[in-house]
Amino acid sequence: MSLLTEAQTKTTAIIIVAIVIIAIIAGAAYYLSQKPAQTVTVTQTQTVTQTASPTTTTSPTQTVTPPKIKEIKIGLIEPLTGAHAVFGQEAKQAAELIIDVINNELGGIKNLGGAKLKLVVADAGETPEQAKLAAEKLVAQEHPPIILGAYISRMTAAVAEVTEREKIILVMDGLVDSLTEQGWKYVFRAAPKASAHGKSAVDFVVEMAKKKNLTIKKAAVIHEDSIFGTYVAQGAIKELVKYGIDYMAEAYPYDISDATPIVSKLMDYNPDVVISVPYFHDGVLIAKTIKEMGFHPMFIAGAGACGYTDPDSIKAAGEAVEWYTNTYSYNPARPTEWNKKIVKMFEERYGKLPTEAAGIIFYSLMVVKEALEKAAELHPEDPLNPDNLREAFLSLDLTDNNSIAAQLYPTGHIKFAPNGDNIYAGTAILQVINGEPHVVWPDPEPGIQPVFPRPDWPGAKG
Amino acid sequence: MPGTLSKKLALTKERLYSLVGLAIVLALVPVFLGFNFYYVLLATNVMLAASLVAAWNIIGGYAGQLDLAASAYMALGAVITGHLLASFGLTPWIGMFIGAAVAVGVAVLVGYPTFRFGIKEVWYALLTSALVVIMMRIYYLIYGSFETYIPHMEPEWLYLTFRRYEVYYYMLATMLVIIIWVNLKIKDSKLGYYLAAIREDELAAEALGIDVRRYKLYALMIYAALAGLVGGIYITLTGILSFRLFDPWLGIVTAVMGIVGGLGSIGGAVLAAVILRSLEEYLRGAIGATYPGSHLLVYGLILILVGVLKPEGLASLLDYLKKKIIRR
Amino acid sequence: MISIDPSLLAQNLVNGVFTGLLYSLVALGLALIFGVMDIINFAHGDFVMVGAYLTYVLATTFLIEPSLTAFITMPIFFLLGIVIYKLIIEKVLGAEPLIQIAVTVGLLMVLRNLALMIFHAEPKGVPFTIFTQPIVLGPITIASSRLAAGIVSLVALGLVHLLLTRTKWGIAVRATADDREVAELMGINVKKVYAVTFGLGTALTALAAALIMTFSRADPYLGLLYGLLSWVIVAMGGLGGVVGVLFSGLIIGIIEALGITIVGAGARELFIYLTFFFVLWFRPRGLFGRR
Repeated sequence: MSLLTEAQTKTTAIIIVAIVIIAIIAGAAYYLSQKPAQTVTVTQTQTVTQTASPTTTTSPTQTVTPPKIKEIKIGLIEPLTGAHAVFGQEAKQAAELIIDVINNELGGIKNLGGAKLKLVVADAGETPEQAKLAAEKLVAQEHPPIILGAYISRMTAAVAEVTEREKIILVMDGLVDSLTEQGWKYVFRAAPKASAHGKSAVDFVVEMAKKKNLTIKKAAVIHEDSIFGTYVAQGAIKELVKYGIDYMAEAYPYDISDATPIVSKLMDYNPDVVISVPYFHDGVLIAKTIKEMGFHPMFIAGAGACGYTDPDSIKAAGEAVEWYTNTYSYNPARPTEWNKKIVKMFEERYGKLPTEAAGIIFYSLMVVKEALEKAAELHPEDPLNPDNLREAFLSLDLTDNNSIAAQLYPTGHIKFAPNGDNIYAGTAILQVINGEPHVVWPDPEPGIQPVFPRPDWPGAKG
Repeated sequence: MPGTLSKKLALTKERLYSLVGLAIVLALVPVFLGFNFYYVLLATNVMLAASLVAAWNIIGGYAGQLDLAASAYMALGAVITGHLLASFGLTPWIGMFIGAAVAVGVAVLVGYPTFRFGIKEVWYALLTSALVVIMMRIYYLIYGSFETYIPHMEPEWLYLTFRRYEVYYYMLATMLVIIIWVNLKIKDSKLGYYLAAIREDELAAEALGIDVRRYKLYALMIYAALAGLVGGIYITLTGILSFRLFDPWLGIVTAVMGIVGGLGSIGGAVLAAVILRSLEEYLRGAIGATYPGSHLLVYGLILILVGVLKPEGLASLLDYLKKKIIRR
Repeated sequence: MISIDPSLLAQNLVNGVFTGLLYSLVALGLALIFGVMDIINFAHGDFVMVGAYLTYVLATTFLIEPSLTAFITMPIFFLLGIVIYKLIIEKVLGAEPLIQIAVTVGLLMVLRNLALMIFHAEPKGVPFTIFTQPIVLGPITIASSRLAAGIVSLVALGLVHLLLTRTKWGIAVRATADDREVAELMGINVKKVYAVTFGLGTALTALAAALIMTFSRADPYLGLLYGLLSWVIVAMGGLGGVVGVLFSGLIIGIIEALGITIVGAGARELFIYLTFFFVLWFRPRGLFGRR
């Protein structure tokens, strides 16, 4: 054997490898082009055998005599592991509770002959890849007509890619604005988007100042630099501009080691109010630093639901977060019949107050119920068809008087725009008063008044 | 002389046969998975990890440099491919090579100062670890925290916006075979011998007149290019561009898999990637919800055990099995 | 962004000095371990993280001022350091750097994810401290916790310096650092010197963690913040001993403060790591290296 043959063997072998792979790719491509709907058919038969419910296609037999639907699967994709697991776990608890309420207390979907809902859960993990895997798993194994999820924007986007392909309705609890700006057809979001949080914080401060005859000339917006924090800050800035208030804005990574340089910047600018958009870690650090540096503005309002007013932050920061507010996508103290009831049930079942992650699921899932009722009313022949469902979602106009979902919602009004966002979205505001979080806006808890301005503000003598 | 030559040839043949075998097995995987979306996507993710670890093996295994920036090079390839596609409609088929070229450029910037003779290896490891963060922050300064979603474009084969995962699977599987082939090629080349000499004793290698810095840089450039290409394919799969792509953890995990696989053993590295990545997915589902972080904890323990007890990693197990099979 | 108020600049320079002193303290243990034992410890930042949690647990359970818990946490950490040395580090002494790094990265993953498992991802803080009032000097306001942290750090650095230069043990340590074999021949128990050095290096992180907890919080990812930062300081300090660490820490603290003031907080890491990059490029033996 000579060197030449060695080289030749090598080359031929490599060519063989390449040909084999290319041949297989070509074969696979051919296979795919021949059977584009392969998996859909598989899952369809699965769903039919398991739940006896028609899913994506309308067959002539179904239009003549619609099969009786006994059970409808509702998917939930939430981060159950990793850094965001706190939210996901609570969302899952909330979903289990609401599903029980719908099935037992409300007798299922009435217009579908009392069909029950069945929750199917998947873990979205920490990355878009993991979220996408979760979505595919859920679709392959269960193929629910409606999925809720996935809290973190880029994970929600990954899930949406799957649900759009499969024509599954995705009710999002990711708040980032851009999620409803992608031209996705089957997405809905009852919860207020990120910029609405920033807007609410400013509206609240301006309204309070007006009430107390104070004027706000300058405001500072400091925000953690995630996509969520940035959108919240943009919403706040837009509103500040509207009111003609001067502002400075500063972004920082949420895992900063020290906040003194940022607080020094604030003190140098000396704004009347600070709008702060924290995550959790930085919220503790900023509140403590502001206190310790002796910075006393008229008011410090949080925006964006994380930090300051949640129980963990209050525990970690102590007195430093007294009188801080934060915006919430849910109002646990809203005095409607069903809200009181659900909050009580949640507390009894899990031994804690529902926070925002649970609240969003409360009303989102109730909206799903209303949409299913509506779909059954509009299209009794095929209520679970995605386009019929979409039509049902879009035709909803829920208010306190006619729906449980609206009673659970901060503004008491849910109606979807064609892009999937709630036209009447709004947030509630919580304030830390004597170390306890209380709802102070738009309708305060009984016996609670918002503390404004901050009592330690030098101008707050009267 | 003829004896040694034929032995060498036999070895190469054996390698090539295993490579061909691997290609056939990889090609058949989706068929066995019934073209089920979920399993194919899972397999695609495993291929992704395996390709990255196989590329890492060149710098970590052969050149003996603890590189923690696999995710930086990969993400560079990804964001360049992705933004060229999203903003200018440039096909990823070209974009990924531009991305790879940029990754090589950055790699040279990092390697050039740290591969100087007499500089401790630790600085390279640290600089690569910092590199992921530096890149993330530079991306942040340019694009902010906003996410760009790559839209669906036609024709799919040109813009790689398939709605099914098989194509991505095959692309990454092909990439994996190519990377393994590059690995084997390097091992048998002059570069491979020099790198082995440098790993053995850098001082002696330098004394023999080997330009240590240059050969380490070659290894780094090849690795960065491959990681960049993998990134280019990856972004067509996920389609979400954000500064979070520069993930320091992914860099560390890639190195962990390479080390557990056994330094310099391409078979071990790929095996480790396949096992650990699948194990991670399993553990996350099984206990991740009750014990957050447990899958990474297991990684850590495995790493300590391998480092303390068996620095040869999985490769020694592979060798053992191979010997057993051959003896039979 | 364009015009910067001089008083703000002065204010943030002062902030930077105190932060820098604390950074020096964080890095000191690492410099000691790396300088004496030639062990590449990637888990250093995560020792700080564990220390922060220990401080949190002690302070909130027994209602002690967080900075004072150092008197309890330091001895615990000294022992912890020796245990980790015996279990893991001793096995990889003199091993390839890559293996050392791998093992300590493994340790880092174990510590970080243990913390995540036990305490979950939400930050934990001590809601009380004696440091609540700022010290106002004209246009400059200094948070008293940062002042205290800076002073304690400086004192600790001084004590370690004295320990290394004035005591018999310090001489043994330095001899071991210079040449292990010669030290062994001279009758120094190198293994013991290593164990104690690792213990001391670990104990110093507990002190730093106690100081950090007066104004900040514990979270599982705290190690990310301080780990790489410490290495940057060690790289800049070269093998210039305690003084090198002190000045490197100060430089990093000031660069950070200036970066935040002039460009913004988002660029903080960029500034620190680019400094690191340029130091490695132009002064690969550190700014204060003597060898």
